[in-house]
Amino acid sequence: MTDVADIREATPGDPPVEVDRMLARIEAVNQFLHAAEGHLPADRLVAARTVAERAATRLALSRDHTVVALAGATGSGKSSLFNALAYFEMSPVGVRRPTTDVTHACVWGPPEGAARLLDWIGVLPRYRFVRESALDGDDEAPLHGLVLLDLPDLDSVQDRHRWEVERLLGLVDMVVWVLDPQKYADRVVHANYLRRFRQHRASTVVALNQADLLAPAEVPRVVDDLRRLLEAGELDGVPVLATSALHQASMANLRVTLEHAVATRQAALRRLSTDLDATAEELSALMGPAIPTDDVDGEAEQKLVNALASAAGVPALVDAAESAYRQRAIATAGAPLARGLRWLRPAPLRAGPPVPSELPGGTAPAAPHRPGAAPPPGPATIQRPIVGLAVRTAADRVGASLPEGWRDAVGGASRSRIDDLPDALDRAVAAVEREPDHQPLWWRPVGLLQWLVTLGAAAGLMWLLVGYVLRSLGLAKLTYPVVGPLPVPALMLLGGVLLTLLIAAAVTPVVAAAARRVGQRTDARLRAAVAEVGRDLVIAPIHTVLRAYLRASEAVTSLRAR
Amino acid sequence: MSTQGKEIITPRAPASSTAAEPVLRGALNRLRTALTAATYPLLLPSTDEARRTSAALLRQLDDYLLPRLARPDTPLLVVVGGSTGVGKSTLVNSLVQARVSAPGILRPTTRSPVLVCHPRDLSWFRAGNLLPGLTRTSRSGDTPGTLQLVSAPALPPGLAFLDAPDIDSIIDANRALATQLLAAADLWLFVTTPARYADAVPWELLRTARLRGAALALVLDRVSDRDRDELVAHLKEMLAAADLAATPLFVVPETKVDGQGLLPEHGTAQLRDWFGRMAADPESRARVIRQTFDGALAALLPVLTGLAAAADEQAEAAKMLNERVRAAYRIAYDTVLQGLPDGDLLPDESDLVALISDAAADAAERAYAGWRTHPAGLALLEPALARLGPDLPERAERLVRDWRSGTKAQADLVDGIEALMAEEATRYLCRVATPDPATTTGSGHGLGDELRHTAAEIEQARVRAARTDSPPERPTDD
Repeated sequence: MTDVADIREATPGDPPVEVDRMLARIEAVNQFLHAAEGHLPADRLVAARTVAERAATRLALSRDHTVVALAGATGSGKSSLFNALAYFEMSPVGVRRPTTDVTHACVWGPPEGAARLLDWIGVLPRYRFVRESALDGDDEAPLHGLVLLDLPDLDSVQDRHRWEVERLLGLVDMVVWVLDPQKYADRVVHANYLRRFRQHRASTVVALNQADLLAPAEVPRVVDDLRRLLEAGELDGVPVLATSALHQASMANLRVTLEHAVATRQAALRRLSTDLDATAEELSALMGPAIPTDDVDGEAEQKLVNALASAAGVPALVDAAESAYRQRAIATAGAPLARGLRWLRPAPLRAGPPVPSELPGGTAPAAPHRPGAAPPPGPATIQRPIVGLAVRTAADRVGASLPEGWRDAVGGASRSRIDDLPDALDRAVAAVEREPDHQPLWWRPVGLLQWLVTLGAAAGLMWLLVGYVLRSLGLAKLTYPVVGPLPVPALMLLGGVLLTLLIAAAVTPVVAAAARRVGQRTDARLRAAVAEVGRDLVIAPIHTVLRAYLRASEAVTSLRAR
Repeated sequence: MSTQGKEIITPRAPASSTAAEPVLRGALNRLRTALTAATYPLLLPSTDEARRTSAALLRQLDDYLLPRLARPDTPLLVVVGGSTGVGKSTLVNSLVQARVSAPGILRPTTRSPVLVCHPRDLSWFRAGNLLPGLTRTSRSGDTPGTLQLVSAPALPPGLAFLDAPDIDSIIDANRALATQLLAAADLWLFVTTPARYADAVPWELLRTARLRGAALALVLDRVSDRDRDELVAHLKEMLAAADLAATPLFVVPETKVDGQGLLPEHGTAQLRDWFGRMAADPESRARVIRQTFDGALAALLPVLTGLAAAADEQAEAAKMLNERVRAAYRIAYDTVLQGLPDGDLLPDESDLVALISDAAADAAERAYAGWRTHPAGLALLEPALARLGPDLPERAERLVRDWRSGTKAQADLVDGIEALMAEEATRYLCRVATPDPATTTGSGHGLGDELRHTAAEIEQARVRAARTDSPPERPTDD
C-alpha cells in the first residue's frame, strides 16, 4: 500500500527518543530547580516544574500506551470520526452545536493498564470505552495500546469547553486536529491552537474531515490551501489527511498513521521531549555565559576588608597599641622626669592601651580618638554607608558577568547578613589577642642608667643649692672642686641633663621603630579577624549563589543535550 | 455631495437634522480631540482594551457617525458579515441578482470588500464621505484599504449591500476591516450556518451589535430540511438568552447554486421580500437609519465612561509610580542629612561621597522594587535603573569638593545633595511620560473628566433629538 509508505515518510524522521535519556533530562530539570530555588523568583520556575512533574508522571504511568486526542472546532466532525475509528456509536453526534460536552475515551486492548493513565488525564470512568481484540479478531491488533480521546470543541460559546481542551492538550501524546471545508481557515484554530503548538509538529496530524462535502476534484486544492496555511504558521511537514467519517475507506490513511504511532511507542516520548526542549530554552534564558571564576576578585575583597576594618575601628586600635608600647618604653626606659610628666597628661593617653572590651558595642563601632577632642558624632554614622557601599561594590563586581535574576540573587545574598556585621566585627576584634607586654632586655639597664644620670644631676643641683643657701645666709662659703673651667656640681647638673637628652635621643627612634612594628602586627591580626568576618558574612553567601549558578548551569547543559 | 440621494429618499428630516444637530456635531468633534489626546501610555490591565476601544471609536466617528449626522438621507447601508465559509458572497450575489462578489471553496474568500448599490446611488458612495479611509475602485482585487464599488440594476435604489471580510479571518487586517465596516453599517445582516451558529466569535459581535442598539437581521444559511426545525428552535433559544429575541431570523435552505453561482429564487425569496419592502418604503428605511444612529450614540456613554475610567487609572498609576520614586529618594536624602556631622565639623571627603552614593544606591533599589510590584512600572523598568546613575559617585565627589573649597556652609551642601537626588530620581520619573492634560485638551482638567464631560454632552443632545422625534423602532419582522 503506497499510502502507508507516504505516511511513514511524512512523519518527521528524527532519531527515536530513548527513555533513559529522557529520565536524565527530567532529572536535569529537577537539579536546576533545586539549585535555583531561593535564588530566582519562584514564578519563573513554575513552568519548568510543571513540565518535569508531568513528564515524570506520564512516563511512570504507562510507556505502552499512546494517547491521541481528536481536537477541533464545533461541527467539524470530531465525534463522527471518533465513532468511525472505533466502529461504533459511543460519542453523541448531533446537529445542535456544541455537541460534545465532556471528553470521551476509547482504549484499544486491555483496559487495566490504561485506567490509571485515564484517571490522570481526567476522563470519567463512564465515558471510557474499550475495544477488546476478542470481538474483532486481529483487525484491531495493530491499534493495541491506543487511547483515543474525543475532546469538546474549542470555538463554541461554551467557555468551559475551551478550558477542558486547553488542559488536555497539555497532557496528550499526539493531537489529530480535525478541520472541515467550512472552518479549515478559522483564526481560532490556527492562531490560538495550531500555531501555539507548532513545536509539537512532530506529534501533530491534521485531518480535513467531511471531505465528502467537496467535489472530488476540489479536495486536493483545499488540502493544498490548508497546507499553505500550516506552513505560514511554521507547521511545515505536518501530515494533512483528507477524511470522511461516512466512508471507512477514506479513513485508511488516518488509521495507518495511528497504527504507526502505536507501534513505535514514540509519540509520548517525542511530545515530552519537545516539552523539555521548550523548557531547556526557557531555562537557558535565565542563564548567562559560564563565569570564568567563582570567586570575588581580590580588589573588591580588599576594598571590603578596608571598609570593614575602618568600620570596626581598626586604625584607632592600631594607634592605641603603638602608643601603649611607647608609653611602656617610657615607663621602663625613659628618664624619670618624662615618667613623671606622663601622669600630668590627659586621661585617655594615660589610661594606656584601650583593651578591646572597652570598644563601644552595638551598631556604632569605635571612632578614632583624637587627643583633646570629644569623639565627633560624624564617623559613627558614616561607617555604615562605607560598609554598605563596599558590600554593594563586591556584589556588583561579581554580578556584572551574571544574567539579571542571578545578579539580584548575588546582591541579595551579599546583604543578607549585613545587620549582623557590627556585632560580629566587635566580637572578632575583641577576640584578637593583644600584643604581649614584652619588654626588651635593654629597657631596664637604660632605665637604671637614666636613674643614675638623673641622680647625678640631682646631686649636683642639691650641692649647688646647699652652697647657695649657705652663702645667702652668710653662714659659710662652700668651695666647689673645679674641673677645668667649671665647678664639679655644675658639671654634674649640666652633664646629667645633657646625658639624659642624649640617651633619650638615642633610644626614641629605636622605640618608635619597635612601636611601628607592634602597630603593624596588631593591624595584621585585626585585619585578619575582620577579613574572616567579611568572608563569613558577605563573601560566603555570595559563594553560595555562585555555586548554585554553576550547578544550574551544568543542569541546563545536560538538559540541552538531547 | 450627492444630490441624487435626496431624490431617492423623501426629504423628511430625521432626528439629527433638527436643532440638536449643531450641538451634536460640536460635541462629536470635541470627542474626537479628546480621544486623540488620550494615548494610555502606561501598561495597565485596562490599557489594551482602552487603546483598542479608543481607536475603534475614532474610526467609527470618521467612518460613520460624522458622515451620517451630516447626511441622514443617503442610502441605507446593509453590511453583510459572518464567519469564513458561511456563504456571504453567494448570498449577496443572489440578493442583487448579479455575480458581484467572488465566492470560492478556498478560505478566506472575500479579499477586498465589495459594495453593491443601484446605479443611481453610485455617486454618493463614490464621493467617499462614508468610510473615508477606503480608496474606491471599480475592479476587484486584494489591495488593502480599497473598497470595490459595483452597481446592480436589479437592486432597488436606496439600499446598498456591503460584503464584508470574515469576522474570524486568519488575516488580521481582514478581521480589523470587518469590525470597522460593521461599525459603519445602518443594518447588520449576519450570516451563519448550522456548523457555525454556536461559534464564540460571532456571538461576541452579536452582543456588540445589541450594545450598540444597531438594527440587526440574522441569516441561517445552508440548512437541510431535516435539521431545520431543531436548529431554528435552538438558535432562537440562544438569541433569547442573548437578549436578541426580536431579531428577524431568515433561514436559507441548503441548495445547489445555479450556473451563475446564484442561489435559486425560492431559497432567498423571504429575505428579498423583506428588503424589497424596506426599499419601497422610505419611512421604514429612515427609521432603521435613525435606530442604528441613535443606538450608536447611546452606546457612546458606557464606552466613554469606561475610557474615562481607564484614563483616570492612567493618571492614578502615573501618580503612584512617581510617588514611589519620590519617596525612595526622599528617604535617601533624609539618610544623608542624618549622616552629616553636627555643627561646623568637616566630614571626611570620601566618607561623605560614600554616604551619598550608598543612600542613592539604596534609593535606586527601593524605587526599582517599588516599580516591579506595579504592572505599569514593571513594563517601564530596565536593569540599569536598579543601580546608581553611572556618573553619580563622580558628581557627588565634585559636589563635596566644590563645597569644601567654597563656602563650607552646611546649607549649600544640603541643597547640592537635594539636587543630586532629584537628578537621580529623574531617571525614573522621565519614563512616566503622561501628557499633561492642561496642555493637551486646553481645559485644565484631566482627560478622564474631559471624556466624561463630552459623553454627557452627547447624551443630552441625543435625548433632546429623540424627544423631538418618534422613538426608535426595530425593522418590522415578516
